[in-house]
Amino acid sequence: MPQRAHSIFSDDWLVRAQAQVNTDAELQLIGTWFTTAFSLTCTDRRAERRAIVRFERGRLVDILPSPRLDVRCAFGFRASLEIWTKFFAANPEPLYHDFFAMLMRVPGFVLEGDTLVAMQNARALHRAMNVMRSVEP
Amino acid sequence: MPDLEPIVGRYLNVNIDQVNYRIYFEEAGEGIPLLCLHTAGADSRQFRHLLNDAEVTRRYRVIAFDMPYHGRSNPPDGWWLQKYLLTMKGYLALVRHVWLALGLERPVIMGGSMGGAIVLKLAAEYQRELHGIIGLESSAFAPGRYNDYLHHPAIHGSELVASYTFGLCAPNSPETSRRENWWYYSQSGPGVYAGDVHYYSNDWDGREDIKTIDTSVCKVSLLTGEYDYSCTPDMTRAVAAAIVGSRLVIMNGMGHFPMVENYPLFREFLLPELDFMATT
Repeated sequence: MPQRAHSIFSDDWLVRAQAQVNTDAELQLIGTWFTTAFSLTCTDRRAERRAIVRFERGRLVDILPSPRLDVRCAFGFRASLEIWTKFFAANPEPLYHDFFAMLMRVPGFVLEGDTLVAMQNARALHRAMNVMRSVEP
Repeated sequence: MPDLEPIVGRYLNVNIDQVNYRIYFEEAGEGIPLLCLHTAGADSRQFRHLLNDAEVTRRYRVIAFDMPYHGRSNPPDGWWLQKYLLTMKGYLALVRHVWLALGLERPVIMGGSMGGAIVLKLAAEYQRELHGIIGLESSAFAPGRYNDYLHHPAIHGSELVASYTFGLCAPNSPETSRRENWWYYSQSGPGVYAGDVHYYSNDWDGREDIKTIDTSVCKVSLLTGEYDYSCTPDMTRAVAAAIVGSRLVIMNGMGHFPMVENYPLFREFLLPELDFMATT
């Protein structure tokens, strides 16, 4: 597995993702109603890494790694380390270049929880996920 | 002097099964008619680069029309009493009526996505009246694109549809062009994209029809983008395998909307196919 994979959803990675997301001019513009929390889960053979990210009006205001059961979120993305690594690759291969592509064509990439809330926020959510791709490993 | 483009827009009235339609179309150029079909939920603006390409329009009369409910073509009277659901039969009749009403003699018909699907049916039905077809992102069977969120009262349909299709572009296509297509997609009426996808993903199955296409009378070129996940390269390879004598081009670095997401790259793939279509 490339070096890049090991940092996915690590505490350090999430902090850098927060900084990147919160300086994105487009997300600030379109995120007025983007107030929700969702989970990012990465599984591999040894462990599962999960964090909840909470957005308020387009800003990532809270990162909750390894959340307790009383931390609620509306929906989440779950996939294996291998799939996330392809999604976050600098030059993603076809079918891994967009989360909608993966939802349609990559069976191990799952949108869980309340999918209605996810799609209500589709534009900003899509932008936020794409901005996170630019986070250095 | 005003900086005018060579594109001219007009309205065409056609009657299909006792229903009147006022169809907007744009055209440019002279020569072999090249009738262009836009993708689901979009409109003829997707072909603006092609319509402005002098290397194409010096030998092709390029025509692109907005389907009813799309762009500047209004829905038919009474639209508020019926759910918009495109069907293979209705789509075929529409293209045929526009083609005949404009008096296009042995045209080349080029369509993208759902347009790339219906050109296969057009070739199967009317091959002796065609120069050929160019299928962009053509599949003979494409389940999986429909979902109820595409037209849902709790969701901003315009933003969802535009975002849902944005990633169909290749990641390296120019951002301005990808955003242009996003804008077009954001402008379809409520339920129009869903209604089109009903045809594309639920109603369309051309797997038997395409076996009847004789490429000695109707040329077939199939071009599909490497990053297209709606109609994947493998889906078009299956079409090509079923049509003996068809030409297949997998466009590296391209997605689902070649005519709009990256026209400079697209024309490198398209021009040889237009040469091929023009040869006798």
